[in-house]
Amino acid sequence: MQVNSNNFVSLAEIAIHNPELQDAVSDGTRRAYDKRANSMFADSNEQGEAMRHQAFEAKRRALRNLPDLLEKAESNLLSNGFKVLWAVDADEANRQVQAILKDHEASTVIKSKSMLTEEIGLNHILEDSDIRVVETDLGEYIIQLNNEPPSHIVAPVIHKTKAEIRDIFIREINMEYTDDAGEMVAYARKMLRRDFLNADVGISGGNFIIAETGSLGLVMNEGNGRMCTTMPNVHIALVGIEKVIENLEDYATLDQVLTRSGTGQNLTVYTNIINGPSRESEVDGPDEVYVIFVDNGRSEVYGTKYTEALSCIRCGACQNACPVYRSVGGHAYGWVYGGPIGAVLTPLYTGLENATPLPHASSLCGSCKQVCPVDIDLPRMLLDLRYDLVHEKVDNKWQLGLRGWAMGMQSPLLYGMGAKAARMGQKLMGDNMPGVLGNWTEYRDFPDFAPKSFHEMWQDRQKGKLQ
Amino acid sequence: MSSREKILGRLRAAQKPFTDIPPVTQPRHMVPDVVDMGPAELQARFMAELELLGCTIYRPSDNQDALDHIIAHIGDAKQVLSWDDAHLPVTGLSAALKEASIDVMPFNDGEAYVGITGADAALAATGSVIVSSGAGKFRTASLLPDIHIAIVDANKLVADFETWIANQREQGLSAFRESSNTTIITGPSKTADIAQILIKGAHGPRKLHVVLVNAAVS
Ligand code: SF4
Repeated sequence: MQVNSNNFVSLAEIAIHNPELQDAVSDGTRRAYDKRANSMFADSNEQGEAMRHQAFEAKRRALRNLPDLLEKAESNLLSNGFKVLWAVDADEANRQVQAILKDHEASTVIKSKSMLTEEIGLNHILEDSDIRVVETDLGEYIIQLNNEPPSHIVAPVIHKTKAEIRDIFIREINMEYTDDAGEMVAYARKMLRRDFLNADVGISGGNFIIAETGSLGLVMNEGNGRMCTTMPNVHIALVGIEKVIENLEDYATLDQVLTRSGTGQNLTVYTNIINGPSRESEVDGPDEVYVIFVDNGRSEVYGTKYTEALSCIRCGACQNACPVYRSVGGHAYGWVYGGPIGAVLTPLYTGLENATPLPHASSLCGSCKQVCPVDIDLPRMLLDLRYDLVHEKVDNKWQLGLRGWAMGMQSPLLYGMGAKAARMGQKLMGDNMPGVLGNWTEYRDFPDFAPKSFHEMWQDRQKGKLQ
Repeated sequence: MSSREKILGRLRAAQKPFTDIPPVTQPRHMVPDVVDMGPAELQARFMAELELLGCTIYRPSDNQDALDHIIAHIGDAKQVLSWDDAHLPVTGLSAALKEASIDVMPFNDGEAYVGITGADAALAATGSVIVSSGAGKFRTASLLPDIHIAIVDANKLVADFETWIANQREQGLSAFRESSNTTIITGPSKTADIAQILIKGAHGPRKLHVVLVNAAVS
């Protein structure tokens, strides 16, 4: 997917002036936030925090041995009958999927929700080669009909009201007018049923790969994911290399903190553990199951001070908790992942120069870390990214402007030039001020410096130049 | 160099992260209060959780009662998907279906209104029913129909997800890996994607009805 994160400020402005989005996002995130708290701490605060810590350790332990664990996972996946492929980047992953589809002469693909496939822009690539791609998660189906990307990791259409969704169904799939959400769901169920029964290939993501048993773990509520992994003859799972965990015990821990933090459920309706293709004695299930391990920037983050970002289990809790996300929604972040985790992952995966405003799209209130089921220190990483913005000379325009400021501020000898330097700095940087002023100017215009300072005017007057 | 080698090579060249994470100790269970429960308490908890999820439950008094109940529950639906008798904890269901002129459809029939399965295990803490795929235990029976009837043997009830996993390990993980698909079903299919309004029956069954056999009747 194309990166549009440098336009965060203008995208946020659009979101702020969209009353439907404002209602939908604030309502949706608030409810999810409450559900998470009730569910994680259902037993006691102490128990909830202990489980977070257990999940934290499980994920960090897996990352510590990531290369070994990937190899172990691969060999166990293979012995369960999976086919395993590795893709360095989006292009390679897309080509691998295309090749599999071609091999099977596939024309219709059903998909269950996968953020990774959004990342690599799979749908458009397939559609360009005349494959019919049907998103089957209800939220994803709605935004596909409306030609939009998802705006939330767990609830892709959180930014739309019921009335907006109804209008999309009427316009795009000829639904008869109704205000009843149940009738809308029933209509979508009917529309998608045909595709579930007839599609050639199912594509999914993967919540976890369990190394010890060579299993693919998938969680969902609607059942569409089970359809995608059961009905077609071929199933392809695209999985980020960071998704591998050690064993079933860790799966139990991580899966339960994921569902409690994401939707407030003890378990999602379907917790699926897939151990390869259908066995000979079975009448249903796919004959071929592929796991594609996708890197796409992850190995470059591994081992850096941002490694802990790879422990994200995509629960969306940090989005629900973030005051910035709550007021601008997910699309403003300009790529696949919105909210605090998006503000960290977007610069890491797509390049800091492509997402310079995102490290500043945070009030650093700390809520995101507090709700994160694997205790990722998002505020610390946002600060480090701000540091990198300045010290790695990411943005020349930004840098020159800063130097202008620094010159004026540092030396008494340059005092007389200070105001000029400031003006120069402002011209170079436009209205987006760096550092502490960044948050302020994201939503407000920085006042222009006077054309001449008092000091300069005084000097001019002494020289008799002032009219 | 293959992509596999490239990726693994990059990971191996990086500085190893999180070297200070301690080795695993005895992990906690997410829902601690079920761990030490006896069978009667587990059953009560299982039933309470099922109700919270919007499931319905029936505890038949004997095999005939179970069969009669299932036939009555199918009602006017004349077509069902069903697991083979050998994998159901009741005796003679297929004969009873035949007698009631209910057709047992092939696995890929998208119209059958009711699906009947057994269960490999059930979890008290979360009101979950576990189905694993195999010969005579196809996946679509718990997926395609509007109504899923799960016939659960109360003797297969365990405390929670963690206990079930411990049992898999005890029995040897190769048996677990033999099944290509294990699904832990917790309530009827649902969605809240339209403005957080909870709707049951998104793509899977809209109702989950549990027939609990060999249950302790309190
Ligand atoms: S960073 Fe943490 S809270 Fe945010 S989506 Fe990932 S796991 Fe959830």
